Amino acid sequence: MKKERTKNIIEFKNFTFQYRSLGTPTLKNIDLSIQSGEKVLIAGPSGSGKSTLGHCLNGLIPFSYAGMIDGKLKINNIEPYKTSIFDISSHISTILQDQDGQFVGLSVGEDVAFRDENSNVDVDIMKKNVMTALKNVDMENHILKSPQELSGGLKQRASLAGIVMSEAPILLFDEPLANLDPISGRSAMKLISSVHEKSNKTIVVIEHRIEDVLAEKFDKIIIIDNGIIAASGTPTELILDGSLRRFGLREPLYIETMRHANIDLKELDFLNINNLNTTNIKENINNWIENVTPKIRSYDEKILEVKNLTFSYNKRENIIKNINFDLYKGEIISLLGNNGAGKSTLSKVITGICKKSNGTVSYKGKNIDSWSIRKRGQEIGYVMQNPNHMITQETLLDEVSFGLKHRGYKKVEILEKAENTLKICGLHAFRNWPITALSYGQKKRLSIATILALDPSILILDEPTAGQDYKHYLKFMQFIESLSKTGLSIIFITHDMHLALEYSNRAIVLSNGEIIRDDTVSKVLSHTETLNRANLKKISVSTLAEVLNIDEKLMLETFINHDHREMV
Amino acid sequence: MTTTGTLYIDKKSPIHSLDGSIKLLMLLVWTAIAFLFTDIRVFLSLILGGALLIRMANITFKEVKPLVVFLLIFTLFNSLFLIIITPAYGSELIDQYTPLFNILGRPLTYETLWFAITLSLKYLSILPITIIFIFTTHPSRFASSLNKIGISYKIAYAVNIALRYIPDVRDEFVNIMHAQEARGVAFRKGEDSLINRFKNYNTILIPLVLSSLNRVEVVSNAMNLRGFGSRKTRSWYNGKKYGEFDFLVIALLLVGAVAGVLINKFYLSGFWYPF
Repeated sequence: MKKERTKNIIEFKNFTFQYRSLGTPTLKNIDLSIQSGEKVLIAGPSGSGKSTLGHCLNGLIPFSYAGMIDGKLKINNIEPYKTSIFDISSHISTILQDQDGQFVGLSVGEDVAFRDENSNVDVDIMKKNVMTALKNVDMENHILKSPQELSGGLKQRASLAGIVMSEAPILLFDEPLANLDPISGRSAMKLISSVHEKSNKTIVVIEHRIEDVLAEKFDKIIIIDNGIIAASGTPTELILDGSLRRFGLREPLYIETMRHANIDLKELDFLNINNLNTTNIKENINNWIENVTPKIRSYDEKILEVKNLTFSYNKRENIIKNINFDLYKGEIISLLGNNGAGKSTLSKVITGICKKSNGTVSYKGKNIDSWSIRKRGQEIGYVMQNPNHMITQETLLDEVSFGLKHRGYKKVEILEKAENTLKICGLHAFRNWPITALSYGQKKRLSIATILALDPSILILDEPTAGQDYKHYLKFMQFIESLSKTGLSIIFITHDMHLALEYSNRAIVLSNGEIIRDDTVSKVLSHTETLNRANLKKISVSTLAEVLNIDEKLMLETFINHDHREMV
Repeated sequence: MTTTGTLYIDKKSPIHSLDGSIKLLMLLVWTAIAFLFTDIRVFLSLILGGALLIRMANITFKEVKPLVVFLLIFTLFNSLFLIIITPAYGSELIDQYTPLFNILGRPLTYETLWFAITLSLKYLSILPITIIFIFTTHPSRFASSLNKIGISYKIAYAVNIALRYIPDVRDEFVNIMHAQEARGVAFRKGEDSLINRFKNYNTILIPLVLSSLNRVEVVSNAMNLRGFGSRKTRSWYNGKKYGEFDFLVIALLLVGAVAGVLINKFYLSGFWYPF
């Protein structure tokens, strides 16, 4: 028997919040109610105020981030801002976005016990609780491991174990998928669903990766944009009326595909991909496939040649084994693979950060094995995932000039080059701004600008789209694409299959340090065996093809050739 | 170094099972006694006793080699400076001059040489107990035992949390350095002068500090949200109660400390020179 869902467990009434350091409110006149036992998704582009809303729920506002509150908020019959962050935590438990940062203990067991420790629970009872919690998420074998030994997915699991133990009737997940590869993301969402089913707790998920989230059932989606509730309704309602797309959120790719093929979504049970096998849909898709003209690009000037490259830290176990591939001028390739497949290591060996054990790397036909990191850096630019790791100066102009200065350019040249690069990257207007005033996406572009200023011929981008919402993703990728048109060769290191599908010409799949496939993107992504071996997730376009019994490769090719930029 | 970034090596031995606070007390008493004396016989017996304890703790030489080598080099230089700067210091102590040869125009005496050896052994006599403390004390257990002896749990936990983030900060440091290196910043020999290379390390500092501050914010939020600081006391997952063995060691330490002071006062006070 299902519990009746009548009680509002969360209720915002004309709620406004303004951070102390800001001039305008971040949340404006929010009216929102969530019923006990519901599973709700709060979505919205970056900077929309969705995280702020989460902070209001768990008490970080106002207890860690001060500001002005107007209106009313009730959670489980308390007014959170009138109690304390500790009182609130017995009503609502939070999993934060940063998996590394929120892992407090030195080992998994200790971390799971942290809440009990703080509540002064007797050690024997605590140990039993920890074991039960870990068994709940299948992690009892990891109890002694330290956070550094765990993958992102396992860290997520451990933090879930830590909060499932709490008595709180509400669980809040702040971007649970950030930094997770698609397979781990999928299993994290499943785990959240199973917690929901078992416990009947109220679940609030804040996330912008709609495709991964909507693979599980949600009762309601609330879209925040610009600090107000822009739309709310069931997933079906919001997809039908186009709200997701309007507010810069990407719909699941197979739904996008159906829109491309002019399929009327009304009357369809489109959230369940397996129910889409109708002759009508198949006909439309086949039509679409026939009418899209393929774009053919070819590249002939080889710029980088990697031969038999092997690397190991300790001579016993090779992290990457016998890697062979070529890169051509102006080409964009994706280096795909799950966490731990060796993608980052490979790029570190190419850039000279790690010393190869065997094999050669040639640049424009010249063997560069003896080149230092610095010398390679001149030709092969490496942009790290976290832009904060690359930024060392105060203003944008200083930052871009900094590398040039160290390369020994003359003063006049430095200024000219730096200004030019900032123009290309669309940051020239901010050149004298302090970098701290930039958004994450802008910082990311700046980190690329610092490398571009040095005139490399190859750019390696590590997870370029991590942490960016769809709107910024599109803008950013168009920028990267325009760079490649100038003859720059680009390597993406990523587990983002959408990125690979839409923007690269070729995909190289790594698994356990070996290349298991090097081919066009559509061929790679339609090859189930390769995906399984590399522990990569099939993208929903292929799944739809599979359901409809259409050639997956053909369908993917059509999707790539369809001008996806029209979707914004 | 293990993945946790601490030097703790997980093994089973009576020394490992000893409470962290008692090991700390042991370190303090041991060090105090070593500094009380200037007598090579005392140091030799401390070193011998320490070696036995290390054996008891199942620590192999390979595990502690870097630390031992570092301390050996340190004491060697220490003695060298002593000999060069004050070649007659040992003689002044006991008023006995037996010149050996001239060093920078001043005579080096046998007494000073003996003093240098004594001093080196003094430092080395603290080494075994330091090794035992560092390598056999689990950081979380140590935090809980600090709390047990009356130190506020917030301070005790700070020790724990600092250790938790050492490896993260270390990785970040390396990451940032590589990023800057690829941009042309020189860190390696032959790429720039020593002073410039040293200056270049400054460029790592800013991003490292900023990201550490960010880390502090995330951790403190994570801790607050899970109720840290909500009560006057807290329990410890890794905590243990004092056992019989712990009390036995405390008693031994007390006896040792008193005996040390008495022996120092009545028998072995001052610099011992046998010749």
